[in-house]
Amino acid sequence: MILGAALAVSVVSVTSGAYPLSTVDILGLLQGDLDDEIARMVLFDVRLPRLILGFLVGAVLAVSGAILQGLFRNPLADPGLIGVSAGASLAAVAVIVLGGTWLGGWLDLAGVWALPIAAFAGGSGTVFLAWRIARRAGRTSVATLLLAGIAINAIAGAGTGLLTFYSSDEELRSLTFWTMGSLGHAAWDDVAMAGPWLLLSLCAAPFLARPLDAFLLGEHVVGHLGYNADWAKRAAVLIAGLGVGAAVAVSGLIGFVGLVVPHLVRQALGAGHRIVIPASALAGGTLLVGADCLARVVVAPAELPIGLMMALIGGPFFLLLLLRTRIT
Amino acid sequence: MRMNTLVAFFAACLSFSMMAQAGQPRIVSADGSITETVYALGAEESLVGVDTTSNYPPEVRSQPRVGYLRALPFEGVLALRPDVLLTTMEAAPDRTLERLKQAGVEVIQLPVARSPQDTMARIREVGRVLGKGPEAGAMAADIQKRIERIGINTQGKPAQVLFLMAAGNHGVMIAGQDTAASALLDALGAGNAMGDMSGYKPANREALLASRPDAIVVAESRPGQFDIAQWPQLAALDAWKQGRYYVGDSMLLLGFGPRLPQAMEEVAGVLTEARPVASASD
Repeated sequence: MILGAALAVSVVSVTSGAYPLSTVDILGLLQGDLDDEIARMVLFDVRLPRLILGFLVGAVLAVSGAILQGLFRNPLADPGLIGVSAGASLAAVAVIVLGGTWLGGWLDLAGVWALPIAAFAGGSGTVFLAWRIARRAGRTSVATLLLAGIAINAIAGAGTGLLTFYSSDEELRSLTFWTMGSLGHAAWDDVAMAGPWLLLSLCAAPFLARPLDAFLLGEHVVGHLGYNADWAKRAAVLIAGLGVGAAVAVSGLIGFVGLVVPHLVRQALGAGHRIVIPASALAGGTLLVGADCLARVVVAPAELPIGLMMALIGGPFFLLLLLRTRIT
Repeated sequence: MRMNTLVAFFAACLSFSMMAQAGQPRIVSADGSITETVYALGAEESLVGVDTTSNYPPEVRSQPRVGYLRALPFEGVLALRPDVLLTTMEAAPDRTLERLKQAGVEVIQLPVARSPQDTMARIREVGRVLGKGPEAGAMAADIQKRIERIGINTQGKPAQVLFLMAAGNHGVMIAGQDTAASALLDALGAGNAMGDMSGYKPANREALLASRPDAIVVAESRPGQFDIAQWPQLAALDAWKQGRYYVGDSMLLLGFGPRLPQAMEEVAGVLTEARPVASASD
């Protein structure tokens, strides 16, 4: 059913947008009958990379949420909790605010990639830090990881705030847009750059299904069931950290998907991670692509930031669901 | 529809000067004061879309809006099938601009105006793009004349002005160095009472009291947004008590567009009273 929805949303995503392209035009372009350079560009260089990137980002955010909720045995866990979003924000804001002055030479070298590279490094760096803090005498404490994540979030948030304070008016505005997330400038190079990381994290996630199921029974049970608990924790943090880092790097901050999609999936299909993980990937990707369609259509020819769109549609929907049934 | 797309594409391939001769290029203007200039030159029939910073004149509200000039959407702009995207160096993201060029849209990025000279140069440039060179030249000359009529104080200590921005959710911000606000004061030969800091920063009520400005200017992004009742510290300043203050629209004050002389006249009005040796009047 989710697969059907994913297909439907993909078709809608390719056919909708500010630039008018009819289904006939699109079929013509796909078959190579229609010779229209601009229409070709809109379809192949704008909508297609946007669809692919949106799907991958949504899938990774949702899967990371599912993994972390399993790892922490906490329904409130989301990818932001281990510091990845805060770290990525700090690095991105640093590039926006200090880019012109302090980091000048380095920035010229990296060009348009400076921002995504910094965000990725900041995101994965903070996750690594949280994980190092939580690791003592060869064992990783999940509770310490959670607390370290909270502390790092606060510190990175303060750093971001400080930079925001020192930013000029223009810088302030560009970073505001970054924190609302967007798939608006997705191009093939983004897919090429972030795609491998996103795919890697998506492909690795299912291997965590069994250990995570065991975690649900309690941390001490994991070993008894024959899994290496520490290995599972490390893998979970790595997969979520790298995946979300790459997602944030190309799309900015998009909340909600990681927190809510796993809940929806668990409610519909049960709590087994062998189902929750792939289903979350599909549902997360579908949801984000759907939200992106709306984001670019409702105020066309302008576009809403997708993070905003997500919370706008997702929030009330989730509340409604909470009112109908109680999620445990 | 297919035919139209082709026609738009070929038209876009021509240089803008040729298009200007051929009649009406389809223009998207992404900058409030450039949009003002287009209207002031009477070329609004060329406009097919504007950005969210374009709010003057009021007729502009009927134009389709492509979003904010720092976050221009590629498809959104392209959907209006413009020949020219007329904007400033502030436009972003670069990647969108690059792609629009690839799609055959002439992207013209004018420098950000921060002085009367910049303003006049920009008006001439917009006139050239629109094929309204002579009109733009006349407008620039008129601006020059009006500004010359405003006395610029060159003798003695320049009046120190406290410049505030009443900007929506940020509350009230103080304008420091390197801002359009400071540039306006420079153009008038006045000083910025908060010249030690740069950019727009949240207002510190004590610092307001300590600043002891000769005059106060408040730029509002919405008319009536600034409420003096909320700012007793300001009301306590001599400049406010003696009426040497001006509260006005931020696009008028900070746009550096065709209304620059008006902005300068308004602010100069409260400055002359602040100066013992007024060199104003002609």
